[in-house]
Amino acid sequence: MSAARVLFAALVALALAAAGPAPRASAQEAADGRAGAGKCGTCHPRERVAYASSRHAQEEVRCVSCHGGNDRALDVGAAHSGSFKGRPSRASIPRLCASCHADEERMRPYNLPVDQYALYQTSGHGKALARGDTRVAVCSDCHGAHDILPPSDPRSRVHRPNIPKTCGHCHGDTTSASGAISGKPTYGVYVKSVHAHALFDRGNPNAPTCVSCHGVHGAAPPSMGSVDKVCGQCHEVERRYVAAGPHAPERGEASARPQCVTCHGSHEVTAAQPERLASSCVDCHEADGPQAKLGERLWNDYRVASAEVDQAADVLARAEAVPLNTEDYQARLEEARTYMREALPAAHAADAQVVESFTQRARAVAREVQSELHAKLGNLQLRRLLLVVFWFYLIITILILRRFQKAPRRG
Amino acid sequence: MSERPAPAAPTGRQGWIAWLERRINLTELFSLFSHFGLVYTPVDTSRPLREALRDVAAQPVPTFARWPRLLGLVAAVFFGLQALSGLLLAHYYRATPEAAFASTRLIARDLPFGWFIHQMHSWGALLLIVILIARLARLYWQGLFRAPREVLWLSAAAMVGVVALLDFTGRLLPWDHEGYWSVVRGLEVLGGMPVLGGMLTFSLGGQVVNADLLTRSYVMHVLILPAVLAGLLYVTFATLRRVGLSPESGEAKGGSTSFREHMYAVTILQVLAFGLLVSVAVLVPFRFVAEADPYSTPGGVRPPWYLLAPYFVLERLPGFAAGWVALLLALALLFGPFLFRGSDARASLGRARLWGIVLVVVWIALTAAGVFLDRAS
Repeated sequence: MSAARVLFAALVALALAAAGPAPRASAQEAADGRAGAGKCGTCHPRERVAYASSRHAQEEVRCVSCHGGNDRALDVGAAHSGSFKGRPSRASIPRLCASCHADEERMRPYNLPVDQYALYQTSGHGKALARGDTRVAVCSDCHGAHDILPPSDPRSRVHRPNIPKTCGHCHGDTTSASGAISGKPTYGVYVKSVHAHALFDRGNPNAPTCVSCHGVHGAAPPSMGSVDKVCGQCHEVERRYVAAGPHAPERGEASARPQCVTCHGSHEVTAAQPERLASSCVDCHEADGPQAKLGERLWNDYRVASAEVDQAADVLARAEAVPLNTEDYQARLEEARTYMREALPAAHAADAQVVESFTQRARAVAREVQSELHAKLGNLQLRRLLLVVFWFYLIITILILRRFQKAPRRG
Repeated sequence: MSERPAPAAPTGRQGWIAWLERRINLTELFSLFSHFGLVYTPVDTSRPLREALRDVAAQPVPTFARWPRLLGLVAAVFFGLQALSGLLLAHYYRATPEAAFASTRLIARDLPFGWFIHQMHSWGALLLIVILIARLARLYWQGLFRAPREVLWLSAAAMVGVVALLDFTGRLLPWDHEGYWSVVRGLEVLGGMPVLGGMLTFSLGGQVVNADLLTRSYVMHVLILPAVLAGLLYVTFATLRRVGLSPESGEAKGGSTSFREHMYAVTILQVLAFGLLVSVAVLVPFRFVAEADPYSTPGGVRPPWYLLAPYFVLERLPGFAAGWVALLLALALLFGPFLFRGSDARASLGRARLWGIVLVVVWIALTAAGVFLDRAS
């Protein structure tokens, strides 16, 4: 073997070693995403930083996984060569994400669903995209591109309390002027609703966001006739009473029968307003018709019972301050309040007897509590009466003492 | 000690008193009782009770011995009422953090007439403090700290302190929210005093309000402090017996009345005071809301009302200075009046009164500031 051949063999070996699989990145590099970013971050530092904290960086989804090219080359020409795709077009993004996220085998270790792409194609977004409208939301609009975070991360755009804002980015009043797709100020309306109040102000993690009614990847407006099913996911009792009453979905003509939104509105839905029992009926029915009268009767029932329960609560507070033992009455008053709480959903049956079955029970309990507490408080009046008697004897005592005091002078 | 009692008076009426008189010296017992008030003159224990009483009743008493000179006597009777109602409360009260609130609620809510006893004790304490402070002001105004009444002043000032401590320890016992936290706050004020504070917190078992402190507060409240107060009452009436009631200048020639008539006037005053206490106790419920929760400090916690003025100052001072200021205040209350001495008694009393007015005005202003300013912050 000549020296030249040995040298050649050594060079080839060196070249193979250089071109062969890179040594596994250190744990530190993996953690801050440097390994996944390869050398791309040298020229794209902003993207590298965004990527470094993303979920993909932890799973070694690399720059080249989406963008193609060679992340070990420092030379632009070499790096942007081969399979290099550059920035994916908006229309291609769903398919690009689906190349991994619709792959059951790949997603199985993460226990992630793989139907997002299929759902997306049924959504308003997906259908518009298929028609060639690229202004609609694609995966990256909600999840981010380089900085993809899991929904459990509070910084994530798809973290539950952040969802209304994410949707509102296009469907809000703030951006409608800057080329948003929907001109409706949906976000601005939603944030004033009772649902948003529960989500933001009371911190209820189960309060409905946009996706609770419209779907997530399959986002679309609920179709005519399915509104009661959508609302009924949470408002089961109301739905049951609606189904038992004259407004049941299967009665009458589809166009004529009221939906939940007919009385409550959709995005602007407010907290229960029992007084609207009296005023809502005339929106569809005649002002002096039997339906309007029924509504007034329902409201009247509710109002009277509610006032009696409140009155009992006042008496209870008075008794507590004395103090009297009120534990038993607190429990019974809670029972009355429970009936009242059921009376409102029951009003959806638009049947006076159904509502009265609850309000009458609430009133009976409240009256019982009131009369028993009044009897106890009556004993307090007795205390005052005894005080008068006490002073009567006190004054007599003083008069007798005065008399004894003066006695020697008289004698 | 005393001579053998004379044979029973030959009145012919051999009642049970005479029967008892042959077996025990009732006059001696009466004189013992009178040490805590009532009778200012010495009692001749060698004579039978009836005669001794007749003697006492015939003693002349200056007519100026009237309201408000009798605040000390009213205080003594209120103290007796507190002892009585406290005794009844102690039958049901349990001094542990777990049971204190429940047992107090049992008394105030569920026991027949428990509410009345509880109310009498709560309002009685408040009235007792008010009476003793008024009495202190009255003694100061009339210069009754001057010779030979220094001991009277010292015992009166100490009485205010002891009753304030009684109220302070009593506040903790129900273990209700307000009482608990006002004691926590008050302990910070009182415990900051250099010597007295250390003694107080040592005898209470520390500055942390816990089961130990509750037990020790209870012991102080029902045993130690009432005994001290009874001793101070004795000292008060002992000085009275030695130096007599004090006429203000120009009042001495107001004439005199018999002790018998005087006793009736005093009794009427006591009856009225008792009526006032009962009425307040029945008509105005004392605040008694919820069990103490050591883990949630309510907003605007303040010490009891009579500590509001020093608290307002001490809150704004660094710790060590606050303690010294509190100690100086306590010492000034006891010994301050003795600084007003001089050859001209009238002029020195005038100066003392001026300073007294200034002090009261400052105290009221600071209390008002404590009520309104601290509530706003």
